[in-house]
Amino acid sequence: MKCNIGFRNMVASACLAALSGLAYADDALQDIAIPSLVSTYTNGSKAYMLALNDADVAQKQATATPVTQATEFKPPMFSGSNAHKYMGLTTVALAGLTMLTAPGEGCEQNCPPPSQQPKRQTNGTHAKLAKAAAFMAAATLTTGVLNHWDDFHLEDGWTDPDNMHVMLGTAGALLMMYAVNKSAKSSVPTSHAAMAELGAAAMVVAIKLTW
Amino acid sequence: MSKKLKVVALLAGTLIVNGAALAEESFGGWLINFDRTKEVKPVTDKRYLKECGECHFAYQPGLLPARSWEKLLNADALKNHFGDNAEFDKDTLQAIHDYAVENAADKSFYKRSRKIALATAEGEAPLRITEVRYIKRKHKDIPEKIVKGNKDVKSLSNCNKCHTQADKGVFDNDTVSIPNYPDWDN
Ligand code: HEC
Ligand code: HEC
Repeated sequence: MKCNIGFRNMVASACLAALSGLAYADDALQDIAIPSLVSTYTNGSKAYMLALNDADVAQKQATATPVTQATEFKPPMFSGSNAHKYMGLTTVALAGLTMLTAPGEGCEQNCPPPSQQPKRQTNGTHAKLAKAAAFMAAATLTTGVLNHWDDFHLEDGWTDPDNMHVMLGTAGALLMMYAVNKSAKSSVPTSHAAMAELGAAAMVVAIKLTW
Repeated sequence: MSKKLKVVALLAGTLIVNGAALAEESFGGWLINFDRTKEVKPVTDKRYLKECGECHFAYQPGLLPARSWEKLLNADALKNHFGDNAEFDKDTLQAIHDYAVENAADKSFYKRSRKIALATAEGEAPLRITEVRYIKRKHKDIPEKIVKGNKDVKSLSNCNKCHTQADKGVFDNDTVSIPNYPDWDN
């Protein structure tokens, strides 16, 4: 089968994008409570509450339990672990897009002299996306450490899903950073796709393990 | 990435898309499924919900390994179930027992169940969820006065008092709200 690299890259990245995209859609279905203007306006107003409930409310109020208890609990929309989740998914999506925009394989062995090789693009779409992916990977690691520190426990053993998530996620991020660094340091196009793709794959597996 | 690897990625992608409808009952099903499985499988069995939810929160079978359910859910053991008599007729007991064992932590692909299965793989099977190493560790920092000394909680066994989505099998930190101490640890 002879199909061009661009096409194959496109299909592979579409898979990655689909993975993160569908996952996002699944999550976005959670109901989001947006306070209406009216409720914000009247909420704290005693007069309004009294008018609604008439006089007996005023009597009950003296002994009433705090209002915080009566309101139904809603999980926060912005939490540390949500940030970690979306950063991880964004990293994978960016890695997919980076793969999609790759200009082609670099040269490792028996290469023509640098003067005859294609000119390096260090600030094209591919390079920008790659740097964004590596940056996002680093941010994901940081938020993971900050918010899920207590989920990582050696006493659970290496097969613990959270422990594997940490190892694969870290390895994935490091591989992506290594790939970006390898290419950035080189004066000629150099192949670094395998490393980056392995990194992205490790991250996908890491996400799936604790999804 | 070699051509072979890309073909594998492509296949995996296709599988993922097609498999979304499959349940997570088997490893394959879990692998190609998009549903979130990081929590504990919610209870779907009506009989289990009714009978085991009578005195307390109907604990998901995925919170204990099958060995624990075998010890808990037999006619003899239920005569003295943590000091209470929780006897059932033979058919009901059989159905509840089978449901619990089939969905036990060590047979589940849900993340917290996998953690509980690992934490209880060795040694004596616990009779209490609150004695599982992983569950104990998660609650070790909560002061007694907020649990036992809290008239709206009373015992760590009352999961649903603090875990607002416990009935859906969700125990995530983000969904915790301790009665009378809404701001504890948040
Ligand atoms: C007659 C009342 C009653 C019924 C019915 C009942 N239980 Fe219990 N159960 C109790 C009491 C009381 C405790 C101890 C609670 C405590 O220590 O706070 C308990 C505790 C438990 C615990 C240990 C919780 C922990 O501390 O980790 C499990 C597991 C359990 N029950 C499972 C079941 C199952 C499964 C069923 C259905 C077959 C069931 N129970 C039905 C009264 C009952
Ligand atoms: C007194 C209130 C309270 C009760 C009762 C309680 N929990 Fe918790 N639980 C908490 C709090 C608070 C946390 C979060 C601890 C933290 O911030 O690390 C937690 C965390 C957890 C976690 C980890 C969540 C995560 O995101 O990692 C699990 C699993 C859990 N509880 C299960 C249970 C089960 C099962 C029961 C019943 C047998 C139970 N809890 C009863 C308060 C409670």
